[in-house]
Amino acid sequence: MKFFENVFTYDYSFPAVSLAYFLRYPNPYSRHVLTTDVIDRYVDPKTQRLHTIRLHLKKSKVPSGILKLLPKGMGGSDNSGQSYILETTIVDPREGWMESESRNMEWTGILSVVEKQVYQRQPIEGALYSLEGLSLDDKRGEQTTVKTTVTFRSRFGQGKLLGRRKTEAIGDHNGEIEDDAPKKGFFSSLSTAGIQRTIELIGVKRTRDAVLKSKQGMNIVLERLRNGGIVGVLEGMRQDREAAFGHEGPWKRVWARGHAHIEDDDN
Amino acid sequence: MAASIAPECNDIKEKYDTCFLKWYSEKYLRGHTASNECEELFSKYKTCLHKALKEKGIDSMLDDARKANSESDTEFLRRS
Repeated sequence: MKFFENVFTYDYSFPAVSLAYFLRYPNPYSRHVLTTDVIDRYVDPKTQRLHTIRLHLKKSKVPSGILKLLPKGMGGSDNSGQSYILETTIVDPREGWMESESRNMEWTGILSVVEKQVYQRQPIEGALYSLEGLSLDDKRGEQTTVKTTVTFRSRFGQGKLLGRRKTEAIGDHNGEIEDDAPKKGFFSSLSTAGIQRTIELIGVKRTRDAVLKSKQGMNIVLERLRNGGIVGVLEGMRQDREAAFGHEGPWKRVWARGHAHIEDDDN
Repeated sequence: MAASIAPECNDIKEKYDTCFLKWYSEKYLRGHTASNECEELFSKYKTCLHKALKEKGIDSMLDDARKANSESDTEFLRRS
């Protein structure tokens, strides 16, 4: 098991950051996010906290480094280049915090990635907080910190007993463990622990880039929110889409048009 | 606005998303947490989406993943 941890501070108020979170796709750094849907959403009548469950479809391939470790066909043949991510969010506007958890829904037997984020309003010395009249982004001095923790766990090649014991300790679901058992035979001559460590390390490396991109995307959305409100964010999305895909929508990319419009594209 | 996994749900999703963002920013974040005027739109969007998820066979995978998440929900609620 491997961890990635990062703490970052946005120079924006908590309401602005939490709104940007729900509004963050699409942005120029999220071209890999194909679709976003709200599966469930409700306000808990006791706590008044808003619970949201979303399903994201992202372009994502099993990294080639991991593919090399797998038996032929595994992870490759059914790897459509897309993966489903389940995101659960709880917001408490009175206490000024938001927590989110995102996890991959497929190939969790190879690598299970769980990202947890805790957003927290940072109190300003001497400031009085009352929700009444709290504007989205009035207090230019207000900051919001976010702590990101990503857990990588490869159960690759693990037997049933070991898998179940770990599962109970960590609270993951049991559905994948049975799948793992038959694969063990392929790797009897290899060090299972070594392969797991390698898979987990590749996951950590990719996550560093992903966390940075996600921050850059949030900052763009926050800036648009400050300058033009929600309308400003939506207008920005429309322009991004035109620049990237032309008028045909994401399924028919028009690369020539995209390049013509993005002059400082350094990709 | 982000596209839906089911293109046929895009219209109702956009209506719901717009309603939600307005309610979230103008009411919920300002302490008016009780009401939710987007319920009707959400219910229409959910009906459309669930049909599509079932057709794509994603619904059962989703149920499993949500079960995995429920323990974390309990953790969240224990906070504060």
